[in-house]
Amino acid sequence: MAKFDSDKTAKLHQELHSHLPSESALRVKALESLLVKKGLVDPRTIDAWIEAYSEEIGPKRGARIIARSWLDSDFRQRLLTDASAAIDEMGFLGNATAHLKVVENTRSTHNLVVCTLCSCYPFSILGVAPAWYKAAAYRSRAVRDPRGVLSEFGVNLESDCQINVWDSTAELRYLVIPERPAGTENFDEDELTGIVTRNSMIGTDRDLSSVRKGDI
Amino acid sequence: MDGIHDLGGKHGFGPIEVTQTEKPFNSEWEAREWGLSQCVDVPGVTIDWWRHCRELIMPEDYLLRPYLDSWAQTDLATFVDAGVISRSEALSGELEFVNEQLPPPVITTEQAIEADRKAAHRFDHTIEAEPRYQFGQTITTKLNAPEGHTRLPQYARGRKGTIHAYHGVHVFPDLSSRGIITHQHLYSVMFTATELWPEDNNTDHHIFLDLWESYLN
Repeated sequence: MAKFDSDKTAKLHQELHSHLPSESALRVKALESLLVKKGLVDPRTIDAWIEAYSEEIGPKRGARIIARSWLDSDFRQRLLTDASAAIDEMGFLGNATAHLKVVENTRSTHNLVVCTLCSCYPFSILGVAPAWYKAAAYRSRAVRDPRGVLSEFGVNLESDCQINVWDSTAELRYLVIPERPAGTENFDEDELTGIVTRNSMIGTDRDLSSVRKGDI
Repeated sequence: MDGIHDLGGKHGFGPIEVTQTEKPFNSEWEAREWGLSQCVDVPGVTIDWWRHCRELIMPEDYLLRPYLDSWAQTDLATFVDAGVISRSEALSGELEFVNEQLPPPVITTEQAIEADRKAAHRFDHTIEAEPRYQFGQTITTKLNAPEGHTRLPQYARGRKGTIHAYHGVHVFPDLSSRGIITHQHLYSVMFTATELWPEDNNTDHHIFLDLWESYLN
């Protein structure tokens, strides 16, 4: 059973620093190999999880949630009231989304999501977080200089557009609903799903009007 | 904990690498670690203890090592803390003793997808006490962090904020990181950027944090 011993754990990290190989690939290989030898994990189960997060569990799910919210105002209302229940209807509830909140972009409001303390992310609807989301540059700057961060992503907001930054400090996870672009009035759910980018659901992308179908 | 992990508002990390690929995994080892961490089970571990074990990684390793590499080290540290893996096994990679429990059954991709659906863990609860704060009320956050795990970032300590929403009662992470499960009222608190960084230019945005009642005064 876990002993919750911080001092011993800090000491272990120091020892691992000097004992483990410096290459990440070798470190992870050593961990997997040890866990397999101990009978704690089977490589085929790891394969299954990789496969699950390579295709099925990923930002296509989030994009479908957004597309449906654009087409179905009742669904959008359920999403705003209880997002976890709403995504459960679609079979997308899962790891890290039991307390999901959605925040809507409007012409005058832009939302940006970050986790400054670790890298919390709504895995079951957006999959594995992109590297920049987990990097110190984004985590440090998103709360303090969101306009600067956004301009690096090519998002230049009007000066009167209010920015709301959501720092995921608890078990709540955030999903941004981007604005539906003009010219998509005749798109069906599949077509709309195809124009929603992963970054637009985190808030580092905004205008989806130039996204080609199937770009995601 | 005033640790290296508490990055919000810090300077000096440079521009963001926005041109990275959109693939879920950038290398084979990242995929292996992701898959591994989805299926290992450390007895008694809480998400907050796991996070704290990651915060305890040496600062240079925390900043320089790739993200999923730090997950691997955190997984290893929680196994050692729980006595499932010995310290010398962790350091040498050589087997000292075999685990007594049966290995978990091999699962298929479909079963992994189903297991992920079941991993929607809830952290809410009910308690007798009424929430102390109401919507629109002004609060001041605590000034100091305890030595252990906590979720009030340094940039928002000792600052005035406004209660934006009430989220109900949630597991309190500071104690959950030590294996003690208690619950507190949780609020969404809005801060203006000018309150957090009064001397910065162009700070007209708002920052929302989810904070437990004992973080507030």
